[in-house]
Amino acid sequence: MSRAGAARPEGPTPQVKRAEPSAHAAGFQWRQAVGRVVAHEDRGAGHRWLEIEVDAEFLVPRPGQFVQLLLPAPAPVLLPRPMSVAAATPRGATLALGFLYAPVGAGTHALARLALGESVELLGPLGRGYPLEDPGTPVLVAGGRGVAPLLFAAEALAAAGRRCEFLFGARSRAYLVGLDEAARRIEGLGGRLHPATDDGGLGHRGNVVDLLAKLAPGLDPEIVLHACGPHAMLGAVARWALERGTPAWLAMESIMACGTGVCRGCPLPRSEGGRAAYLRERGDAPSLEGNHEYAMCCTEGPVFAAAALDWERVT
Amino acid sequence: MSHAAPGTTDARVTPDLAVEIGPLKLRNPVLTASGTFGYGDEYAHVVDLKRIGGVITKTVTVHPRPGNAPTRLAETAAGMLNSIGLENVGLERFRTDKLPKLRALEATVIASVGGETAQELARLLETLGHEPGIGGFEINFSCPNVSKGGARYWAVPARLERTMRLLRTLTDRALIAKLSPDVTSIAELARACEQAGADAVTAVNTFVGMAVDLEHSRHRLNRTTGGLSGPAIKPLALARCHEAAAAVRIPVVGSGGIMNGRDALEFIAVGATAIQVGTVSFVRPRAATEVLDEMTAFLAERRVARLADWRGSLADPPPGVGDAARNGRRP
Repeated sequence: MSRAGAARPEGPTPQVKRAEPSAHAAGFQWRQAVGRVVAHEDRGAGHRWLEIEVDAEFLVPRPGQFVQLLLPAPAPVLLPRPMSVAAATPRGATLALGFLYAPVGAGTHALARLALGESVELLGPLGRGYPLEDPGTPVLVAGGRGVAPLLFAAEALAAAGRRCEFLFGARSRAYLVGLDEAARRIEGLGGRLHPATDDGGLGHRGNVVDLLAKLAPGLDPEIVLHACGPHAMLGAVARWALERGTPAWLAMESIMACGTGVCRGCPLPRSEGGRAAYLRERGDAPSLEGNHEYAMCCTEGPVFAAAALDWERVT
Repeated sequence: MSHAAPGTTDARVTPDLAVEIGPLKLRNPVLTASGTFGYGDEYAHVVDLKRIGGVITKTVTVHPRPGNAPTRLAETAAGMLNSIGLENVGLERFRTDKLPKLRALEATVIASVGGETAQELARLLETLGHEPGIGGFEINFSCPNVSKGGARYWAVPARLERTMRLLRTLTDRALIAKLSPDVTSIAELARACEQAGADAVTAVNTFVGMAVDLEHSRHRLNRTTGGLSGPAIKPLALARCHEAAAAVRIPVVGSGGIMNGRDALEFIAVGATAIQVGTVSFVRPRAATEVLDEMTAFLAERRVARLADWRGSLADPPPGVGDAARNGRRP
């Protein structure tokens, strides 16, 4: 099956239920479902595109949310793999979920061996996505494979008729996997795609954060950043945004076990401000989202406001 | 739960899985391990809680704890290491926020409590010991991830016995002592608990383990060690469970690497009365009811009418190590 994930959504059908924007409401909305692999193909530079069809009882994820994907037994790994959703396309009574990934560890290598038609268990949608409805021009900032949830975000913005700027950086042209999809999703609404490569093979020579700094004076004064990529890049985006008072939302990663807030395994350190806000709202007791010291990546995140985390302690 | 009368000619019977732990009657032996199932409500929308034996809640301590610094998890061969550090809401919030929710659950609730000292544990039971909605207490004597009041501190039979005696005076509910496997003799610790009036012991908590990130030449876990769980520990846990069951007459709750109904029945065969599912709930949230269904089907197929008929079929201690256990067993 070809690039279904890049197709424009057919629009929500009446029976499709969308995930709530609120993290607290989202906490108990996830479902367990059995899906079927309907597309699985190479995307170049070691990347793969995986598409899984589930029934529409599975809520449509919001861009930035993730699902836990359990490999069929026997698998070389025990735990499910948290996967950022790169596309969600309702098709009648089913929902097609797209994932862009690169086989890097034992789990993702096993994932790469999934055959068409094979069954996979999924849990989701999990966590909190990007607040795309926030006012201001959305500026999407992607680093490498971090483009996955931003392709989904670009699609959602296009469906809402909103123009966005899309900054996409990688080591070279070949690693800008998803560049064409990104272009398709923002075209027609006056959006612009700004590539950056370390080797200068396409677009800006250098990293995507430098590109952001370079472009910023020419952008609308009211912008909102939505970023995903390596933590070092996200830290740089967060610092840049905090210095300027620009709202920024960063999709973080962590090793996870349950993905639902129960195991408490994926803490990220809160900033001073984040700690004070938690104490003010909830006191010193842990909640499903975390506690005053740490935010759980799986429930309060994976998308965080720049001001929420202590970027010096994020690893 | 009904079951076919003995001597039935039906091809299948519905086995009676009911078990008792002291004053606590459970509809079946499947419990969710502390720390792997939250406070029950997190999974209530996907797991039919009224079907399982009970929910053991996340360990509560007197004061709230933020838990250990990241990294708290490492996946290992057929298992995982955790170093959560008893992150929890603390006694006061447990009583005001969590207890009402626990009472609303259609499940038997066993509250896990942990303390750095006997006095802290006593304070927890002074507050919770007679609260409605709690069927029993599992005392976490075996957390491997805290600097005080962890597995090492409690691996002293005399201290364990003294503490259990004190706790026994504070509640008439079921009292279960959760033991560490990283001890010289789990039989000795189990006996200390039994003598002090415990209704059961849980064998076992996680095993202390370590994972190294060779590329970056560092420990994978921030606290260097963590507790190992998952299928990797099942053979080790079975041996500890077997040894504990041979040493005491109170029920033993088997725990460690149970992934399915067959695993659970192995623990019952070596002497466990009930079992806990833990890490598998992270893999498949509905694992507890799946394990129950698989146990039921396995026993029905073999026309085992009661779980009690299956229990302990392989409980005799082996020669050598087992002799100590056998010698310690009261006639």
